[in-house]
Formats: sequence, structure tokens, C-alpha cells
Amino acid sequence: MIDAALRREFEAALGADAVLSDPLQLRTYECDGLTGFREVPALVVLPRSTEEVAAAVSLCAREGLPFVARGAGTGLSGGAVPVAQGVVVSLARMRQVLELDPEDRRMVLQPGVTNAEISRVAAPHGLYYAPDPSSQVVCTIGGNVAENSGGAHCVKYGFTVHHVTGLRVVLPDGSVADLGGDAPESPGPDLRGLFIGSEGTLGIATEITVRLLRVPETVRTLVADFPTVEAAGEAVSAIMASGIVPAAVEMLDSLAIEACEAAVHAGYSLETTAALVVELDGMEHECDEQFERVVALCHEKGTSHVRIATTDAERALIWKGRKAAFAAVGRISPDYFVQDGVVPRTRLSEALTRIAEMSRTEGLRVANVFHAGDGNLHPLVLFDEQAGEAERAERLAAEIAEMCVELGGSLSGEHGIGLDKACSMPEMFGETDLAVMRRLRTAFDPDALANPGKVLPTPRLCGEAPGRYRPHPLEAAGVIERW
Amino acid sequence: MVSEEPPGSLRESGPSTPAHGGAPHASASPSAGTPAAGTGELPTRVRPSGLAEAADALTDAASARRTVLIEGAGTALEWGAPVAAPDVVVETSGLDRLISHAPEDWTVGVEAGMPLTRLQELLAPAGQWLPVDPPTASGGATLGGLLACGDAGPRRLKYGGVGDLVIGATLVLPDGTVARSGGDVIKNVAGYDLAKLMAGSLGAFGLVARLNLRVHPLPEATVTLALEADDAARALDAARAVLRSPLEPVAVEWDGRQVLIRFQGTAESAAARARLAPEIPGLAAARALDSEAEQAAWRRLSERTRGEDGETVLRAATSPARLPRLAERLRELTEDTPVEARLLSGLAQGLHTVVLSGGDAAQHAACLTAWRDAVYEAGGSATLRRRREGVDEAADAWGPAPSALAVLRSLKRQFDPGGRCAPGRFAPWF
Repeated sequence: MIDAALRREFEAALGADAVLSDPLQLRTYECDGLTGFREVPALVVLPRSTEEVAAAVSLCAREGLPFVARGAGTGLSGGAVPVAQGVVVSLARMRQVLELDPEDRRMVLQPGVTNAEISRVAAPHGLYYAPDPSSQVVCTIGGNVAENSGGAHCVKYGFTVHHVTGLRVVLPDGSVADLGGDAPESPGPDLRGLFIGSEGTLGIATEITVRLLRVPETVRTLVADFPTVEAAGEAVSAIMASGIVPAAVEMLDSLAIEACEAAVHAGYSLETTAALVVELDGMEHECDEQFERVVALCHEKGTSHVRIATTDAERALIWKGRKAAFAAVGRISPDYFVQDGVVPRTRLSEALTRIAEMSRTEGLRVANVFHAGDGNLHPLVLFDEQAGEAERAERLAAEIAEMCVELGGSLSGEHGIGLDKACSMPEMFGETDLAVMRRLRTAFDPDALANPGKVLPTPRLCGEAPGRYRPHPLEAAGVIERW
Repeated sequence: MVSEEPPGSLRESGPSTPAHGGAPHASASPSAGTPAAGTGELPTRVRPSGLAEAADALTDAASARRTVLIEGAGTALEWGAPVAAPDVVVETSGLDRLISHAPEDWTVGVEAGMPLTRLQELLAPAGQWLPVDPPTASGGATLGGLLACGDAGPRRLKYGGVGDLVIGATLVLPDGTVARSGGDVIKNVAGYDLAKLMAGSLGAFGLVARLNLRVHPLPEATVTLALEADDAARALDAARAVLRSPLEPVAVEWDGRQVLIRFQGTAESAAARARLAPEIPGLAAARALDSEAEQAAWRRLSERTRGEDGETVLRAATSPARLPRLAERLRELTEDTPVEARLLSGLAQGLHTVVLSGGDAAQHAACLTAWRDAVYEAGGSATLRRRREGVDEAADAWGPAPSALAVLRSLKRQFDPGGRCAPGRFAPWF
């Protein structure tokens, strides 16, 4: 319980204007981008510095209060959903670029700096920050660290973990530690790498060192229409098998295109069944050479039309359409869930066929827009809550995620497990695996105060039986025992 | 594509009976290796040939409260602080099978005792490779060992290290627990990434039994330019010039005498890069090496980075801009002493290697300690990789404790409460 005396302690540490306890204000923080999960916190604090975060977390630790870090609240897995009677630590006021070193190509940032801002500040030096989640204009680098965010260009450039070399973090006991550093080696286990993607359960990153890349000399982008999703899938395979590493390969199906066009008029063809966006970047000489091969491969695999962006504005519009896809679905459906499963790229067609079947069975439409280059699906399950379809939609979304695991993939490629998929974790990992992950969590946070209830399934959340039990392959083979 | 575990008992090995002993390990008598602490006894060597046997080996060691050293190819056994004579040495060379390779998915699954060079041979027919080129590769360095050492070579600039390419891992913890994280796909954020706990752990947190890795297409061509530079500041300037250019080098290294700049790509684009590079201001004197000279140059860089017996090797990481000052400090420290110091640097990433030769152990110890202080003052960190005999008596193996020490100790308690795995490796930290 947070009584008036404790609230005054928070106010003394952070300033009265940095502590919110008015119920109306608290309600603003009740959910993140996945609006189905809601919980009003007891208190919200808005620190401005590492020291203030440490002060707030120390008070939480002393009082045994659970706390949840929050960036822009754009997450799609319920990772920033508050805990009842707990504290939300909003990093919204920590928006400073602390250092920019164009020669060593690195920046040190407070966690509230937006992803797009990093590249904007780096641009005058011909540099940029590679990971580019669709929400990059709003989402923060602190949130990106928590989720190990990716984006459309992961297939060539990797994820947040490949671009963050160092972190200053406030640990769940309120102490401050530096993980990693300016260079990509440091003694001992890679705590930096463990922390990135831990979804706020190991502490709060308060200063983040990122490496910047030189802006590529050339970028070439095309949209190729295909008569079937399978043909588009074959084109993807052909491109990836050709020895070319494209910067991005995205696919949209007709329903996703319909939504995008209704929202931003990006020039996608409404007549096609599937559209591929392929982007190459790099040294002009090489890029042009490889781009010709990509165009040829699209023709070889039966494209009906190839549109090549001839200006930066045209390329920007193609990406605007692609990145607006989630929100655009609002134009064609009152409500939607977005899933984030991954399948091996060679099983994309199979996955899409099964999603279509599942969609027919539940009687709900599913739009597909995804990162085809790395097999990361983003099925959008469309439904109408007013018509009582929410429960069916939720079931369909969970079934799709679990099908991805069945096909040898993952529950999540970039949105995180959060609250949303914690109960599905036993589909992907054995009990022992999860117990070992819990050990790791305990090492950082023995009292489980940092973002409890996320990532790992709990009996309270998932029922006494933690999800459906599936034996670990080793267990089935008699190699290991279940404890 | 997945091969099954072959039946059979755990194999024992020693120098005299390598890999073919049929006796169950529990009854094995000690064989080769360093004497166990205090007792003068040799450690028992076990060589599991699969995941189940590896789990048995660690479970047995745990129940008998024996200390354990995990050994791959043995190319990095000296890294960090010396390990107190272990009761059991677990060799990973029997964990060397290919489990799966899906060329179209850009993934491969292997047992982690497989040498990197062997994996490259298996991937090459599909036009693929694991894009790492660590100096220890020619010594047979294994994939699990490379992960545990956090080691990588010059092309880390483009691809990162082995840890950056791991998409899934199966570990055997010091208590024998088998745990898995990640998966088989190249994009995946589900759950904690346990492989990161192994990355840089130098064997103190468990055994890496299997790895799923992301592979890359083999570049059609590579080309290397060499530029004479015996001065650190000049070398750094050259590196920055090429990094500012649109040519996208995949490696930029300085061996103390020359800067090596590597490009790759299609045959045509690699040639174009080599042609354009000398036009960059400051790089006019850079000359392209022919294929043979290119191979030789990188081989020599690996050798010079590894060092030799009797030499002391310290690896440091700072921001690249610190190099000239650190080079100057090294010169001051060795001036008027019989110690000769060689400084090499991954110029684009701030990874520096100092190799000391000449002089005696006390002089090596004094030089490494003072230079390491300078590294830490510059906000960096350092790992001792090799030492002349006697250096340990006069110098700490590790520098100042990291600020995350409490977490490291807590992790060690969670994963190896008895402190049995690689005991002493991170002393005095934990």
C-alpha cells in the first residue's frame, strides 16, 4: 500500500511535480499498445535522471512494491501494463541526447529519446541508427532495449542487441551498474546482452550507448505484385538463395493492402493478391548490380508488375504505407489483434495457408503484413468487440502464435512476450528451461519486483497448471527427466 | 535431418588412450592433466559424445562435489585468472556433430564442440559460412569455446562475434540441468537469451552443448588494402577516413606497422572498392594485396594477436579514439626497459591487443598492470589472455571489479552455487 507518508517520500526524492497519484491521471497509464489488458497503478513517477530512477526504485525495493518501467507505451505485448498497487516509472522526461561522437560513431542516450530522433540527430554527420520498428516516430530507445526491438531491416542489420554496446541500468534493488561499454567486448558474461530483451524484468536502463552506421550510399526499393501468396513466397526464397542480403523484404496480402491504401494512399495495387517490398542498400556500384538481379528474379517467379521507386519521396511513401499497416487496419475493422510469430522462412506458405484455414473456421478475417525475409509474421486478426467477437479473436490469435512454434518457429519475433503471451511460453519451452530462466531472473531480482507477471508464466496468471504441458524433446527421448 | 544420440557409454580419454575407452566414467581413474589441488593427483578426463553424456558428466561431478574445467580445443585455457587444478576435465571434442543445416533458412544446428573450421567446410558447398574469423580458428577453436570466450576476429566490424550469431542454445548447467533458450529461427525474442550468460563466461557458468546459428552467404570476393603506418594516430586517421567513405569496409585493423583494410562483395564491387579506396584523402598510399599476400597478411595478424609462449597478451576494449593516448602510454612504460611491446588494434571498434616479450615476469607484470590502469582510466576494460610464467605472482589477472559485480556474484550463486566450474577463473571477483 502506498500511503500519504510514502507518497511524500517519493515527492521528496523526485519533486512534487514528478509524482502522480490523482486517479484520473493514473488512468492514462493503465495500458500500453495492447489495449486489452488494463490495470491502474497506485502511483506514477516521472524521474529525470539515473539518480532519480535509482531513488524511486530504492523506495520500491524498501517497501516491496512492484514497479513497471514505461517508455512511450507503444508495446504490443502488454509489457508495460501496470501492476495493481504498484508503481509505474515513466521515462518520458528522460529525453536527452547525452553524448554524440561522430568520429567513433556512437551516441549516449537517455531512455526516453525516440528511435527516430536518434537518426535525426545523427543525420548531419551522415550517420543513422539501424533498428527501425514501425512505431519508430513515437517509441523510445529505452523501450527498444527492453523489447530487443527489430523492424523492417533486421534481416541485414540485426536487432537492438546488435546496436547497443553499453547500458547504465538501475537494478531492482536501486543500485546502479554499467553493463557492456563503448566497445563490443567486456570481461565476464554478457550482461548487456542478457538485459536487452528482458522486457523490464531485470531493471531499468537509464543511459544507453548505441553505435551508429554510415548512411548507405544508395537505397533501391521496389514493389512487386504477385498473383498468389505462394508465388511471392517463392520470389523471396529465390532472392535469399541468390547470395544477396537484402536490407528488407516485406510482404502484404490483399486485405492488408486494402487497409493501407484506405489510410495513406501509398500506391499499392488493389488488384493484386500479394505485394513484396524489396529494398537493397549499400555502395551504389554493388546495389545497382544486385537490384537488377532482384528484378529479374521477381519476373522469373511470375510477378505481374514491378514498381521501382525513382525518388526518395516515392520510397518514403512505400514505407509509409507498410509501416502504417497496423493502424490502417482500423479503417476496415473496428478492432484487431496483431500477432508476432516467426516461422522458418521456408515454411511461410504453409503458415499462411493454415492461417487462412483457421480464419475461415473462426469466421474472422485475418490480414497479413510481415517481414518475409526473416519469417516474422504479423497476422492482424480483425474483429468487432461490439458484436461479441473478442473472445474468438483472442483464441484465434493465440492459436496462430502457437502454430508458429509448431512449425519450428517462435511465439514472438520482436513484440515481446509481455503479459500477452506469457501463458503460451510452455508451448515453446520445457519446464526446466523456464525454471532456469527464473533462476536468471532471481539473480537480478530476488524479490520479483521488476515488471512481475511478464515473460514467464505464473500460476496466478495462467491457472494452476502453467499452460498445456508438452514434454521437452529430450525428455520424450528419455534423455532428461522432468522434476 | 536431426541425427539421434548414438547409444553407448561415456568415453574416457587421456593422451595414451584417446577417445576410445569404454569404461563408464564414474569408475575411471585419473589420467592426464594438471595435478588436482593439494593432492598431487591428476584430474579425471571425460569426453562425452552427446548431450546426454555431457549432462551425466556434470551431474556426476556435482553429486561428488568435484571441481570441473570445460575444455574445447584448449586455445584459450589461459584467458582470465588461472583455474585451480580441477578434479574433472570435461572435453567437448566428442560433441562435434552437425545436427541440421537449412541453407534456405540461413540456419545451422551443431554440437558445440565442433571446430569452427569444420563448420566452415560443411557450410561451404551451400555457398555459406559463419562470418567470424577469430585468431584461434587455426588452432581448432570450437564454436562453444568461441562463444564462452566472446572471441571474434577482424570481421566483427560487420558481423559481430559468435554470440551475435547464436539464435538458440542448449546448455548443461554446473548441476547437470539441461536448458534451452532461443530457437531455430533467425528472429526471435521469446524468453531470456541464456546464450548471453555463456558469452564471455570462460566456462564458469556451464557447458555449451549445442548451438543454432545464423549463417550468411559467402562473399563472392574479398580484397585487402595495406597502408604503412607505424604511428597510432595516423592509423586511426586512415581508419576514420575509410569508415566515412561509402566503401563499407568489413575489417579495419592495425598491426603496429600497417593498416589492413578489407572489403568484400561481388567480384565486380570488391574490385571497384579496391580501385576507389586510394582516392580517399589520406589513403593514396594504400596498395591492394594480391590474393596470396592477402591470405598471408591476415594469417600474420592472427598470429601476432595470439602471441607465443613466453609472451604476455592483454586484450583491451575502449572507444577507438583512446588508441593514440594508450599507444603513447605503452611507449612510456616500455621505454628504457628490456620489455618489448607490440600494440595491435581493431581501429573501428576500439579493441586493442598488447603483446609483451623480452624482459622478465616482474617487468611484464608491472607493464601490464600500469597499462591496464590507463585502459580503465579511459573508461575501458581488459582481459589477460596469456602470460609469461611468473606474471601471476606479481600481477592481478583482472583489473578493477565491474560495477555489476553484485549481479555477477548473484548469477554465479544461482548457476554454480558450489563454485565448482572453472574455480578461480574470475578471482577475486567471484
